[in-house]
Amino acid sequence: MNEKELVKKAQGGDFEAFSRLIESHKDKIYRLALKLTGHKQDAEDIVQDTFMKAIDALDKFRMEASFGTWLYTIALNNIRAHAGNKKRADLRPIEEYLPGSHDESNDPGLFDWGDPHQVLEKKQLNDLIESALSELPVKYSAPFTLRYMEDMSVKEVAAMLNLSLAAAKSRILRARLALREKLSDIFRERSNERL
Amino acid sequence: MKGCSKHIQQIVEYIDGELDEALCARLEEHLKECNNCRIMVDTLKQTVVLCREGKKERLPEDIESRLNDALRKKWQEKFGSK
Repeated sequence: MNEKELVKKAQGGDFEAFSRLIESHKDKIYRLALKLTGHKQDAEDIVQDTFMKAIDALDKFRMEASFGTWLYTIALNNIRAHAGNKKRADLRPIEEYLPGSHDESNDPGLFDWGDPHQVLEKKQLNDLIESALSELPVKYSAPFTLRYMEDMSVKEVAAMLNLSLAAAKSRILRARLALREKLSDIFRERSNERL
Repeated sequence: MKGCSKHIQQIVEYIDGELDEALCARLEEHLKECNNCRIMVDTLKQTVVLCREGKKERLPEDIESRLNDALRKKWQEKFGSK
């Protein structure tokens, strides 16, 4: 049975059809929520709330987008609402992440990481990434995560987040630069400690 | 790198394999002589590699079971026990 048929059955009240529709999205939405909030409990709540809201709004789903895209949109609204309670500083403009953007004479230049696996164990690296990502404002971490961790194209990310292509590209890049900078600071610090 | 800021969008498209051939060749020429841009390419690339290396978390089984019960209950409230 294809997705459209399952949606029609679910809209007619068939719970098994709904279960089949959400099955492959449970883990993906959980991972997305976990990455963007950084907390398991919050991610679990967001998953449950997303599917509850999907049941409420099922009659309004017109199959203009895929069912998965529709679920992601609900999940992202939940994540945004959740993040709204935790204010995070906005990211700087792109050019300010580049060396020489402030005082040229004090600029140490870019730090060459070498192989990060030589500096930190895999688990430490994973924890570091998770924490750095969850500290970014959701308007940046969401497009970055969808693009690079869920392997969506920039066009798909833009459509899902209701952004222009240029805005999606810019947010993905700012998130990437901010993460790079956070990691760079840590690797530089570790390297100094080892000297 | 101050003068290199114009390269940043190209650098990202280059890393992601989205930069057109002519611009690719020009950027590669620039990378030969600019250490900061070379490090930027390498570390931006590694940022995504490290993010992708993270474990693929799954919804815990006990949570999934509770979720299914809650959804079935909600479903019955909406549609009755079809």
